[in-house]
Amino acid sequence: MTRIIDHPVLGKLDDRKKIPFTFDGKVYEAFETETIAAALLANGVRTLRVHEESGTPRGFYCNIGHCMECRVNVNGQANIRACLTVVKENMVVERGKQHPNIVKRMVENL
Amino acid sequence: MNNNEALMICRCEEVTYGRLFATAKEHQCTSRELKLRTRAGMGFCGGRTCRVMVDRIIESIVPNTGEGEIPLKYQPPIRPVTFGTAGEKND
Repeated sequence: MTRIIDHPVLGKLDDRKKIPFTFDGKVYEAFETETIAAALLANGVRTLRVHEESGTPRGFYCNIGHCMECRVNVNGQANIRACLTVVKENMVVERGKQHPNIVKRMVENL
Repeated sequence: MNNNEALMICRCEEVTYGRLFATAKEHQCTSRELKLRTRAGMGFCGGRTCRVMVDRIIESIVPNTGEGEIPLKYQPPIRPVTFGTAGEKND
């Protein structure tokens, strides 16, 4: 786990409260007030979702809430941006998954 | 750089530079036509990541296209929102 331990503005890491949350069923530890994207990156998780159509992996890209690449499921709500959402205690986060494309498969088989 | 071909321009719809370049070369079209042919800029983020690049590709390939002559347009909603938010269900 790599983090900034002492930051001139944000203060010392030791002063901050640790909170648990789950990502895809696995429990991870986050620091209070950090975003889902930051907490997962610090825990070594870089794939936040897969592309709905092709299934290729995606992580966060712009990290300022504009590219929508980091969208995940949060407490059952879909398409929440991990880079803007602050982790809450016992938050249930799930990765974005590949969707079936029945119509496209039908057209391919014609 | 030789691997420009595989460079991802539109991440939402997975459109590469190679594909955009080839389509623009073949059809000598406007950026709107390039968008409709390749789906670049039609994904989840609404083209906010690749719009400028799609416009620039057309300017560099099609002769006599002035900067921003027929650029891709902006239309509401200016940022992606859920139907819930649009329907004033703010939870």
